[in-house]
Amino acid sequence: MTTLSTGPVTPAERTTRSAGAAARPTQRRRRFTRRSLIPWLFLVPGLVLGATFKFGPMIEGIRMSFVKVQPFLGDIFIGFDNYAKVIGDQRFMDALAHTVLIGGGQTIGALILGTALALLLEGTTRRLWFVRTAVFLPVVTAVAVVGEIWRILLFPTESGFVNSILGMVGIDAQGFLSDPNTALGYVMVVGMWISAPYNMVIILAGLAGIDRALYESAAVDGVTTRQRLRYIVLPALRPAISVVLTLAAIRSLRIFTEVYVLTGGGPAGSTEVWMTRVYSLGFKSNDLGVASAASVLLLITTLVLTVAVRMLSNRKERTR
Amino acid sequence: MKTRTVRSGVALAITVGMVGTLAACSTSGSSTSDDQSLEVWTRSAADAAASYQLVFDAFTKKTGIKIDYKPVQEFDTQLQARAGQKDLPDVLINDAGSLGNYVSQGFLLPIDRTTIEGNDQISDATWDENVGTDGETYGVPWSRQANVTIIRKDWREKLGLPVPTTWDELTALGEAFATQDPDGNGVADTYGMVVPGSAQNGYSIRWGASYIFQAGGGLLKDNGDGSYTSVVDSPETEQAVEWMRAQFCTPGVVVPGSINLTTADTPFFAQGIAGIYQTGPYNISSFDTAVGAENVEVIPMPAGPGGGVTSLAEGENIYFGASSKKNDLQKQLAEFLITPEAQEIAMKVETTDSGVVTQPVVRLPVNQNVDVAAVKDDPRWDVVSQAYSDSQYFPYAIDFLPFRQIAGDELNALLADCNSDIGAGLKAIDAGFVAELDNQGLSR
Repeated sequence: MTTLSTGPVTPAERTTRSAGAAARPTQRRRRFTRRSLIPWLFLVPGLVLGATFKFGPMIEGIRMSFVKVQPFLGDIFIGFDNYAKVIGDQRFMDALAHTVLIGGGQTIGALILGTALALLLEGTTRRLWFVRTAVFLPVVTAVAVVGEIWRILLFPTESGFVNSILGMVGIDAQGFLSDPNTALGYVMVVGMWISAPYNMVIILAGLAGIDRALYESAAVDGVTTRQRLRYIVLPALRPAISVVLTLAAIRSLRIFTEVYVLTGGGPAGSTEVWMTRVYSLGFKSNDLGVASAASVLLLITTLVLTVAVRMLSNRKERTR
Repeated sequence: MKTRTVRSGVALAITVGMVGTLAACSTSGSSTSDDQSLEVWTRSAADAAASYQLVFDAFTKKTGIKIDYKPVQEFDTQLQARAGQKDLPDVLINDAGSLGNYVSQGFLLPIDRTTIEGNDQISDATWDENVGTDGETYGVPWSRQANVTIIRKDWREKLGLPVPTTWDELTALGEAFATQDPDGNGVADTYGMVVPGSAQNGYSIRWGASYIFQAGGGLLKDNGDGSYTSVVDSPETEQAVEWMRAQFCTPGVVVPGSINLTTADTPFFAQGIAGIYQTGPYNISSFDTAVGAENVEVIPMPAGPGGGVTSLAEGENIYFGASSKKNDLQKQLAEFLITPEAQEIAMKVETTDSGVVTQPVVRLPVNQNVDVAAVKDDPRWDVVSQAYSDSQYFPYAIDFLPFRQIAGDELNALLADCNSDIGAGLKAIDAGFVAELDNQGLSR
């Protein structure tokens, strides 16, 4: 829209403008249309796909959360009834508690484990490179496969893999995932096993950024390993840790696959999380309205959390 | 400049191609009313689908009407998608238990049973099961069944134990299977009962219902006037749940970990890991293949404390899709499917040309003129027939799904904990039932 930009024009400009005025406008306009059309053309496939498979369904989901979904008879608008149902449903509240518990436990556990792994595997020798790759494998393996394998490992009979090892040292067979008191804990353990290596990589990157000179001068000053960890390593890792925590907290809210494969939400609903409840309402009971309402609530929560974290970290950056 | 033209040309082509594909996706699946074909859906895996295919082939041969047959495993999810397009399959063959749910969603056309040729060959009692709460009939019966208790005969005989006739004897057999090494491999790697005990889809209550009925308890009572009453909170039901929990809490009687398992995760009978399975008779053929027909014993239900042997009945119906314009063809197919000829084809285990061994899709025929023992040539099916003659079903007329889920969740919780408060659990189911009855407008 350059041709329409009229501001206070200086006399000098006026002369240059009037000089090219006859020839350039048409040329300019043509260049403008071609130039600005091409990037849009390249964007179209992405936009079409995004609109069809992401934003379309999202808007549809929000719409469905306000209606009684009856695909054949026609939907009936019922306002916030679906939301009231979600909030009034004790099982959703239990699921929320489990989700937060799993999220918190798993995040902290995976962070500690990831940091420990990173400290152990820091370095540049080729052997370490190999071990690091091996440790990273759980992250690139499909979660459903990992879950299925853990379910086999934790099979609650004497012949189950973990139980047979425990049996060798004289420990009774454990119920693991079939005991309502321990199931949630073991789901968390599997979650930590999956996400710890990912955290390890981020923290390794953080460790690589620490100035070696600090270590050297600390050594000259004669500090112990613990002091070095406390006063050099951890402060330097703060940005990496905050990245890990943010990612994990948001990710853990929509935990689904591990739980679904490991326990299906059981036993006695002791491992039911927000998304497994949404799944069973939406696809098993065909109550798509309530399931959509619950999904929208999750979306809002995630959005608020993300924005809050961004604002907090931005403010910190500014004060620095 | 040239490359840029080429590039933008390519981009345009890709875009047009993509939009085209999307448009193509959304326009398929419409059918016209004048062609002589029917789209039929069943909820079947490959071996059951092969059985249906044989029946439909016979129908096409006889009438010339083509069947566009689609076995769909994620039946209800896919059906919702089709409902969204307002284009349902012409004929749906699925659980009788889905009737109330489908009617409430407007998926089904009512059926005037007197206009169906051969309707008198189906008992009135069977027809009446398909009457909705509005008094209309919504499905043509296709197959019926009742759960039976299946036992590893060779294991039982090896241990010298009798066929269990009471709950206590059943428990004793389960314990013996777990502790006395019935497969003789010297390792304690066998168990008593296979139980899909997960709360998902209400599996736990589908297993437990027979025992609740046998103890004299129940879930919902049909008042006969379109209303229902919750009868779950009773001493009889409590006794049944106590017995079920005792099975879970006696080591080895139930395969460990069963509390989280669905039917898809419980291959233990076929694998020779466990020797007792209370389930539908459709499993008999696959168990025969897995462990040998001579080792698969079907026994009458061991009697509950009051001598009750009632088991849970289920069935499949032929439903007419509400959006279909081919009412005459729908009727012709249904009329053929209830003939002795079609019922018998669907009852037999056959090997198709492509080498698939069919899983019979008619378990017990709805047509009274079909002699089960003669068609099956297998005395075990007499036991199945007898079990059906003393059976109860979850009411088909109402949307039972939410009730099944409420009872399944709570029963799963009661069985998961050996110190659970059964009285409180049953009160919770009762409260859930009462609320859902209100919700569906079914309370008195």
